[in-house]
Amino acid sequence: MAYSLIAIRRSFGDLLVLDGVDIEIPPSQLLVILGPSGCGKTTLLKIVAGLDPAFEGRREGFERARFSFVFQDHRLLPWKSAVENALFALSGSGLSRAEALTRIERYVGLSGLGGHADRPIRELSGGMRQRASLVRAFAMPADFLLLDEAFQSVDLKRKRELMGVFLDLRAMERNVSILVTHDPAEALWLADRVIVLSDRPARVIDAFDVDTPRERREPGTPEVATLERRLNAALLGL
Amino acid sequence: MPFTRNTETIAGEGQGATKKRLVGIVSVVFLVALWQIGAAVVGKEIILPSPARVLAEFISLAPTGEFLTAVLSTFLRGLEAFAASCIVGALAGFASGRSETVRAALAPLLTTIRATPVLALILLALFWFPSGFVPIFSAFLMAFPVMAASAMQGARAAPPELLEMARLFKVPRAKVFFELRLPAASPYFAAGARASLGLSWKVVVAGEVLAQPRLAIGSGLQSSRVLLDTPRVFAWALAAILLCGLTEWIFGRIVTRGAADGI
Repeated sequence: MAYSLIAIRRSFGDLLVLDGVDIEIPPSQLLVILGPSGCGKTTLLKIVAGLDPAFEGRREGFERARFSFVFQDHRLLPWKSAVENALFALSGSGLSRAEALTRIERYVGLSGLGGHADRPIRELSGGMRQRASLVRAFAMPADFLLLDEAFQSVDLKRKRELMGVFLDLRAMERNVSILVTHDPAEALWLADRVIVLSDRPARVIDAFDVDTPRERREPGTPEVATLERRLNAALLGL
Repeated sequence: MPFTRNTETIAGEGQGATKKRLVGIVSVVFLVALWQIGAAVVGKEIILPSPARVLAEFISLAPTGEFLTAVLSTFLRGLEAFAASCIVGALAGFASGRSETVRAALAPLLTTIRATPVLALILLALFWFPSGFVPIFSAFLMAFPVMAASAMQGARAAPPELLEMARLFKVPRAKVFFELRLPAASPYFAAGARASLGLSWKVVVAGEVLAQPRLAIGSGLQSSRVLLDTPRVFAWALAAILLCGLTEWIFGRIVTRGAADGI
């Protein structure tokens, strides 16, 4: 089943933020929405999640959809462990505690958290916290995983590691992931499909599939370089 | 280099703690010396007995049955007042923090109690209650607004971004309350409880002085005063100070252990 957003407009007072955004989302895609800071990406994500009903346009196919989230600031309870944090979030999922734990353990195993999974979050490094946040997000049974600038607060090496963890976990769960970011390299590394938004008021100015297998997506490879030039041109308005 | 700097910092902190303790000891010695000099200058035991005289009086008083039962009775009164003010204060404060209506409803009561002089309250309570209960009631009424004020802050201590996270994941309200709001509020509860503990002792003893229950530190203070036995007044006061200090120390230990356990 496909999901679609059709002619989405959203203003805050006199400020028009989204100016007729159309997005078609096939099932089990990794969709990256790329756009300049402050263009309305988060607003769009909220509309997808059904958290912002005050928009114009149509939102179709989402009636029974369940959502999970990864935040830029991990948003974990500092006094609980990664496993307890995931249990806390999953208490809203309708799963029994045992079922929830089974799911959580599966993702903990893939996350690289290892022995850190049972330590309080406040004792963990930033990278481990983001892993815990990814475990929570994936363990939550959902049709959509929404990631709001989820890989922004770490350096390049950790970012690569985390995106690797993200892709490993994603291999288990065939849901739709929608990641918003302002970083073209991140978009090209992860995306099945990239949608580029303009400055505010945001419209879709470019959209394309990325078919290159991930092992050939290193920056500098011809395919990626071509796409990166295309994205930079779109973002810079050339 | 960073390692060296770290060890220096740790050593520095260790020295800081030792220094602090040393300054504390010097300060106590200085105060006792001042007291001793004052007693020597005054030269009248009935006005200001010497520290040695008070200590001797305390040692002779301490093993007596009258003294021990009095201290125990005062201790139990203080504990009851403290427990009641903690429970009522926490509930009232937390409810005010969560609801503007509750807050508006309780504000006049809390403001009035806070502005009421302790002695006025005790004197009124004397009309209403038996002598043993007057100190408990007065201490409860004085201490619970302190706890309530802290609990009210605690009710707002849960970070909004964590609350939003819980909302997005559709975490049930009861779970959010017990696992997010309460733990976030616990440092405020601890601070409020500590403040109301100290206040409870002072008001309990003041209430006892006026209400004169049969067994009480306050009654001991009052009867020694009537007999113009100043060293004994000091000895009873010392008992009250020790009781207060001891319970605050125990309370501090419990809170520290609770924090270490991650509550």
